[in-house]
Parts: sequence; structure tokens; C-alpha cells
Amino acid sequence: MATAERLIPLVVQRQKDHWRGEFTAMGSPCEVLSKASRSIAQMQVGAVAAEAWRIESSFSRYNSDNIVHRINTVNGVAIEVDPETANLIDFAAALYKLSDGRFDITSGVLREVWTFDGSDRVPNEDQVSAVLARVGWHKVLWKRPTLTLLPGMQIDFGGIGKEYAVDRAASIAASFSDAPCLINFGGDMAAVSADPGCMPWRVGIESLTPGTAKPFKRIDLQRGGLATSGDARRFLLKNNIRFSHLLNPLTGWPVVNAPRSVTVAADTCTEAGMLATLAMLMGSGAEPFLQQQAIRSWCIPQLHRGGSGGRTCG
Amino acid sequence: MNGTTTRNIVRGLAAATCSLLGTAAALPAIAQEKHWEFDTALLYYGEDGDRVQDISLNLLARRLFPDDKILSIGFAVDSLTGATPSGAVPQNELQTFTRPSGLATYSVAAGGLPLDDTFLDTRYALTASWQQPLGENYAGTAGVSFSTEYDYTHVGANLALARDFNKRNTTVSLGLAVARDELDPVGGAPLPLALMSDVGDLSGRAGSESKDVVDVLLGVTQIVNERFLMQFNYSLSDASGYLNDPYKIMSVVDPISGQPINRPPTPGLVGPLHEYRFENRPDQRTKHSLFGQGKYYLDGKVLDMSYRYMTDAWGIDSHTLDAKLNWPVGDASYIEPHIRFYTQSEADFYRVSLRDGDPLPQFAAADYRLGRFDAITAGIKYGWQTSAGNDFAVRLEYYRQEGEIPSGQLLAGQDSDSLYPGLDAIIFNISYGFAW
Repeated sequence: MATAERLIPLVVQRQKDHWRGEFTAMGSPCEVLSKASRSIAQMQVGAVAAEAWRIESSFSRYNSDNIVHRINTVNGVAIEVDPETANLIDFAAALYKLSDGRFDITSGVLREVWTFDGSDRVPNEDQVSAVLARVGWHKVLWKRPTLTLLPGMQIDFGGIGKEYAVDRAASIAASFSDAPCLINFGGDMAAVSADPGCMPWRVGIESLTPGTAKPFKRIDLQRGGLATSGDARRFLLKNNIRFSHLLNPLTGWPVVNAPRSVTVAADTCTEAGMLATLAMLMGSGAEPFLQQQAIRSWCIPQLHRGGSGGRTCG
Repeated sequence: MNGTTTRNIVRGLAAATCSLLGTAAALPAIAQEKHWEFDTALLYYGEDGDRVQDISLNLLARRLFPDDKILSIGFAVDSLTGATPSGAVPQNELQTFTRPSGLATYSVAAGGLPLDDTFLDTRYALTASWQQPLGENYAGTAGVSFSTEYDYTHVGANLALARDFNKRNTTVSLGLAVARDELDPVGGAPLPLALMSDVGDLSGRAGSESKDVVDVLLGVTQIVNERFLMQFNYSLSDASGYLNDPYKIMSVVDPISGQPINRPPTPGLVGPLHEYRFENRPDQRTKHSLFGQGKYYLDGKVLDMSYRYMTDAWGIDSHTLDAKLNWPVGDASYIEPHIRFYTQSEADFYRVSLRDGDPLPQFAAADYRLGRFDAITAGIKYGWQTSAGNDFAVRLEYYRQEGEIPSGQLLAGQDSDSLYPGLDAIIFNISYGFAW
């Protein structure tokens, strides 16, 4: 994120029945749609962008002067973290437990051997098990507010950060106005409104099919979160096996036969995003998993899985 | 995640999210998926005078499947009434014509534009198409179309393939459509350039006819940036078979005076008082068309401009320039002014009339649609979103067409203005779109 861009004032533009402001954060196009007045919408966009950029700079693993960088470079030394970081770590620890270890913020180092660029470069078993020795939340000592990793281990909030930012942004936007507002950070979104009878936002879930101008699926979102997890363009293909970019931290190998995309609606964007990610981590078990949860979700299965096709999972 | 823990995930996740966001429990989500989209429209097209009036009802339903597959089904009913210029030129005396059925006559007063009202008909059309992904980067569409009216049946099939490039900013598409149309004209299709005969004489008629049409389309859509989208198409259309309009005729006139040639009916029969011949067009028509469109988005407004150039084997070249500006007003509505300019040159075989004594040309037609003309469409659309989130729109447009007879074809006593049957028409459209 270039500093210059942040200096350009964020101007809202009139859409059919709302104001829209846009900016870029966390590598995604971000937008705020608000039915408040122009001046309120302008303030909402400014405050939302500031929060998104704050979260990005505070928790991005690419940034060299934040808490994540310090945690990842202290090489086994205990480190005391601020309350917000502690909240994120608590959340990650809860997710680790809920997912029986499939969701693990220490799994990022596996990317040292896995590069998902559509090629067939698959690492060998030895390379994977060498890196796997530095993966596993159970090897971490976490006693709020003190975190101790084994030397060589790293953490990464990449799987949580964007959804967290969307929910933070939604509550900030709601603090300015009761009018309906939609926060959309690269397809992960949350709608807030004080009026339960308000007109829903029409959300089109982008089709993965070439040349499809219209969205393949339309969801009317009045309130709550909506998030999509998918591997449409990040995968490896070898011997006709499609390795999704999602890695199973228990084995060090990619999840296979995960759906191409899972979209979940939940009360918050964070819950929707985590459920979509957990479903993807289940691989071919994604659809049964989603069906067991009493949630609204939609899957696009792998193409080669034959004629049964996708369906509304829950 | 075995069976026992699975049940706790949603609740456990909600609790963890609550602590993370530091808020009370979020209000329950309200989200609903819409599986069906419907577009409905009622269109009125009315030409001035006693000419064509068309009321048509269009329904399009789209079923959106979760795995990127789309089924579209369309249904249309058109009800046409009124009359259309027959191709004969106005004269200073009463003109009598045998009806296309060959069973009766009708007359046009001196100075009047000869109109034929055989045109009135009801047409029913059905279309269906299926779209789905093919592998990682392709999408395929296959469709069929069918329409039927009293004297005309159309059956068609189409296939299209699209591929994305350049991070989905470029889409290249290729389409192919084939159609076979069967014509069963009232009274039988007239033989090429046959003279209009007396009532009861069907010697100059053949039975039903058909034509085949093949269309190929190559298109590129390019997203230039967030505000600008461009599209370019090339299309090739080849029609072969019976391409005449079986109801169109030409007046045979004196080459010096431009007056009609008398033709006494056979004694005891009724029939035309002057000579008229049915038209004849080449049995093949190849069209090439180039189309460019740009959509520019600025501060909520969308400017949509397009240009089309078409040239065909009959010598017709046309240019179409179209512009629309979608301008939001108020909370949930917009106005959209629209203007369109069209101009075309005449077909090589276009003849306003046939000269008596000249050898008959191989091809000749006086159909005003094959003549040289300019047209303008100007109108405005107003659309709004209902409180249920559905789209309503009304559109009112005015269409004016003015033609010109190539000067070399005008004879003494003929003038272009009275010979080319220009027209004015009103178009009114109501559309309603909703999801379900």
C-alpha cells in the first residue's frame, strides 16, 4: 500500500440509492456502501479506510515493524503482546481447538516449500516433514499476554485479518449512522442497519466461469456477514491431482478435493469467513461439514467431480 | 472434527468471535438467496397512419444454479396489426390489387400510398439456453430457438464459447448460430418477377419456401479500468434460400411519363387495373458487421456509446451510432436519455419501379427497407427500484425514418419525397424485473 494513495482524499460517489467509497487495503479492492447522507458517508469511508490500513499495518506479516514481525523474529524468546494482538491469538487458539488442529496460525512456514502458481512443482516428503517440525499450535506456549514460540516458528493472521477488519469496519460505520451500510473487502462483507425492514443489499457472487457477465448467484443481504473461500486461481496440478492452496497443518500437504469455492452467510463476517475456511480445510468433506452446521452456505464443487454438480449446502 | 465436536463449532465460533470483536452477540444475519431472475416487458410499437402496430409481451426467466450453471428460458408473443407499404408507387388514379391470397382484390385511392394489410399476424417465440463452465478457463453456452406465426416458422440452434485472459480483464468469445426458416406464404410464394394476376389465377405461384441462416460471431470484451469497459465484435451472417418478401410488389411504369401501365383484367374476372410484378432478390446474402462499444462510468452515471458498421453482398452499407446516458436521480431511480442514428445505402437491385419495355432485370425489389434511408430514434427511459428491491422502468421513444430514391431512378413526374414511404413511430415499453 503506497503512502501516496492514502493521501488522496476518499471521495464518495453517488450510486442508485446510496453513496459509495472505495480504496485498496490488504491486497483487495475495498468498498463502503452507505445510505446515510453524503457527509456522513464521507466520514464513514474515511474512518473505515483508516481502520483497514491500521489493521493491515499492525498485523501483516510482510511489515517489518509490527508485532507479528517481532513475534516471528525473536527466535524462541517469550514476548508480551498488546490486548488486540492477544485477542487475535485467543481467537486463533479457539479456532485451533474447534477445528481439531486444521486451522493453525503457525502453518504459514509451509509456504517455504509450497508455491501455488498453477504449476506442477510439488515438494518431496522430506522437504515437507522438515518444515512440519516448525508447525503446530500445541508446540506454542500462550499464557495471555505472553507468547513463546519454538525457534523457527512463525505466526500469520492472514486467515483472520480481513474478516476481522470487515467486522471492525462495520461497527465503526454503524457508530456514525443508523442507516444501512455495507462493507466489502474483496468479497468478504458485512451489512449493518438499525432498521430490520430495510431494503437488502443485492450481493452478486462472482461467477468463476469465463465470459459470464452476470453473477451466477444472487444473495439479498440485509444484515450480517458473508464470506467466500476458494482456490479458483491458486493451486498446483500434478498427475491430475489438484492441490488447493489450503495446507493441512497436520500433514503439511495441501487439502485435496476441496470445493472450488465456498460462500457462507453468518451473523458476522468473521464467523462466515472461518466457517468457509474450515469447510475448505475439510477437503471432500466440505459439503457434509456445511450440512451439519445450521448455516446458510453455497459451494462450487470441483469440475472433475462429475455430474452431481454443486448445490446449496446448508 | 468428529461428530461430537462438529455440533459445537458454530456456537464455539460465535463465542470466540464475540470476545475477539469485543461486542455483545451480533444480531442474527438476514440473507436470502435468489434462485430465479425474471425480466418481463410489454412493448408497444405504433407507426403513424394505418401502418404497423405491434404489441409484444416478453418474459425471460433465468435459473441460477450454485455451480455456475445458468438456464435461461424466454417466451414472447407479438401481435401485429395494420398495413405495410406493398412496394407499388402512388398514382394519380385508383389502383386495384389482387390480395396475396389470390381470392379477392383491394383498392387504393388516387394519390394514396399502396399498403397491404396481409401483414397482421400473431407470432409466438420460445428460446432456451444452458450455460456452464468447461474446464478451468472456458464457458460454453448452447441454445435453441423456435418461433411460429401464420405463414412462417423458425427453428434455430446456437453455441458459444468464451475464454478469459489477463486476470479476467479480457474475455474472448466465439459464437455460432444456425437457423432454418420455413415460409408458407398466403396463396403460395409468387414466382420471381411474376405479374400480379387476376383473382382466382394462381398460375404464378409456387408452394412453400425456406431459407438457411448461419451466423458466426467473434467478440472481445476488455475491462480497461474500473470505469471503462470496451467491447468489439465481428460477425458474419450468411443467409441462403428464399430471401424474397412474398408480399412485396413493384409498379410497372411508362419510362417517359412515369405513369402506370394499364392492364385490363381478363373478361369476366376481377383483377389489377395496372401492371405489377412480384420482387426477386438474390438467393444468397452475406453480411459482415463490425461493432464497437464503450461503457464509461463516472460518479454514478454510465455513458454507453456504440457504433456498428455493416456491409452486405447486396450492396447495402449501414452505420449505426447509439448513445445512452444513465443518470441516477433521487434515492432509487434514474433517467436515461437515448439517441440513435442510422443510415443505409440502397441495395444494388433496389428499383422504385420497373420501366415498361426494358428487359426484366434478374433481381429487383421496391421494398423500402432495401432503399436508401436515414433514421433517428430519440427517447427517454425512467426506471426505479420498488421497496421490495425490484426494477421497474418505462421507456418512451420516437422513431423517424426518411428515405430517398436514387436520382437516376426518378422519371418525369416522379419525385423522391412522395415515392419513398417514410414513417414516424412511437415506442412505449414497460419492464419489470424481479428475483425469486
